[in-house]
Amino acid sequence: MNLALPYAHALVAKQDLPIPAWLFAWAASIVLVISFFALSAAWRKPQFEEERWRLSAAWLTTVLRSWPIQILCGGLAVFLLGVGIYAGIHGTEAPDRNFAITFFFVTAWIGFPFVSAIFGDVFRAFNPWRAIARVAGGAYRLLARRPLRHLAYPERLGRLPAAVGLLGFVWLEVVYGSSGGVAVGLEPHAAGVAACVYTGYTLAMMALFGCETWCARGEVFSVYFGMFSQLAPFSVKDGRIGRRRPLAAATRWATSVRGSTAVVIASIATTSFDGAEDGAYKAALEHVEKWLGEAGVGPLATIRIADTIFMAATVAGVAIVYLLGVKGMQSVPGAPRFKELARGFAHSLIPIALAYLIAHYFSLFVYQEQAQFTYLLSDPLGTSTTDLFGTAEYGIDFSALAPNLIWYVQVAALLAGHVLGLTLAHDKALVYWRDYRRASRSQYWMLAVMVAFTCFGLYLLSVGAS
Amino acid sequence: MLGAVVIPSAHLGHWLWVFYVIPVLIVIAGIIRSTRAEKKREREEKGGTKHGPKPRR
Repeated sequence: MNLALPYAHALVAKQDLPIPAWLFAWAASIVLVISFFALSAAWRKPQFEEERWRLSAAWLTTVLRSWPIQILCGGLAVFLLGVGIYAGIHGTEAPDRNFAITFFFVTAWIGFPFVSAIFGDVFRAFNPWRAIARVAGGAYRLLARRPLRHLAYPERLGRLPAAVGLLGFVWLEVVYGSSGGVAVGLEPHAAGVAACVYTGYTLAMMALFGCETWCARGEVFSVYFGMFSQLAPFSVKDGRIGRRRPLAAATRWATSVRGSTAVVIASIATTSFDGAEDGAYKAALEHVEKWLGEAGVGPLATIRIADTIFMAATVAGVAIVYLLGVKGMQSVPGAPRFKELARGFAHSLIPIALAYLIAHYFSLFVYQEQAQFTYLLSDPLGTSTTDLFGTAEYGIDFSALAPNLIWYVQVAALLAGHVLGLTLAHDKALVYWRDYRRASRSQYWMLAVMVAFTCFGLYLLSVGAS
Repeated sequence: MLGAVVIPSAHLGHWLWVFYVIPVLIVIAGIIRSTRAEKKREREEKGGTKHGPKPRR
């Protein structure tokens, strides 16, 4: 049987599955139900409330946290941001030939979540805006002989600025730049200008509220990549690198700062929309575009308005499904307030956000990184005038991944992400409901949420881009 | 002749989503059933304590 699959961003291949794609959704649902019963029967005490942080070998801290390494990482990040902006503004307008597009939207945007989920908050060392702000802050302290005074950050906003920024970033990539036919359809010039604007905005916010405060609350990439780093078994405490129980840090991430739930929901929804735009939503999008066109709206505005409506609807849909699960939990006697529950279980969506990211972008990442480290590195502007490393004539080997392998990775990622989400939610329920029977009962609805997200994710992946 | 017969399956793909909704509906139905059964049992237990303990068989 042949199915055309959207490998995210219009990379389409044929696969030959032994059973229909929808049967994978049924099998995944059965695995989730079995996992739920296994957790209910065997997991009776919370395990993730304490990180159990242990100091790693001292040389790791000495080497990785040393000034030369920090300067090297920060300097490299600033240099690459500069190359990206320059290539975007002065390079070719062909998105697939310009260093900026692949570097910003694939290497960094998809690469850092993968790395963060394994090694911890790596982006902190490679954050170019943090590096610039630290140098500027140091220079100010030296010249003015006093540290720069900052405003108090309005804590009621929490991580909401980052959630809005995350939606804005994906909107720019998927809606504003929806030209189709290439991996990322945004014009490099627009990406370069957007990077300049974001750099100015971020540095201004860091000057206003302080570099570390803004990185923890409002800086989109620090918050987004930091969210995935909560799953990792490594972290830095008091300037020292140590190991901790994997997933355990996530339990506090969502409850400690407001707006964290919005960040996770935005993450899942934007990835879903990106996957659905050329597949599951295609017919409906065309219908709305036709209707807008008949109403006299211009062709480009028509596409952007329709995409924006569907992206907003996806965010609302994901939020509603999650909040319905929370509402169901609240019906169990002894439940805390709705808001507390909504915030308390948001961390269980982080593995799902990562699973969606892997499922939708894994193949794109493997393909585009071949371009990143060959012809885009040798000819960053894409003007065929330079060949810095002698790899400008290389191409992408699309046979590097078999279509069936991609599908199995996608299914495995979605399934693992949802089982981990279910485990985190069950563990948290044992904190709110000391009685494990009530805790298990409260998780009936989270099981429904997980099954719904799994089937939705697999449906998005299985719909062919015709 | 048979080779010329075309099954009108062009629009079948539009209904594939139904197969993905079925597991969700089954799980939700199971949850509603279990929740109702547990609530009923709790009510019966409460009723039992109100009028004295239930006689054991």
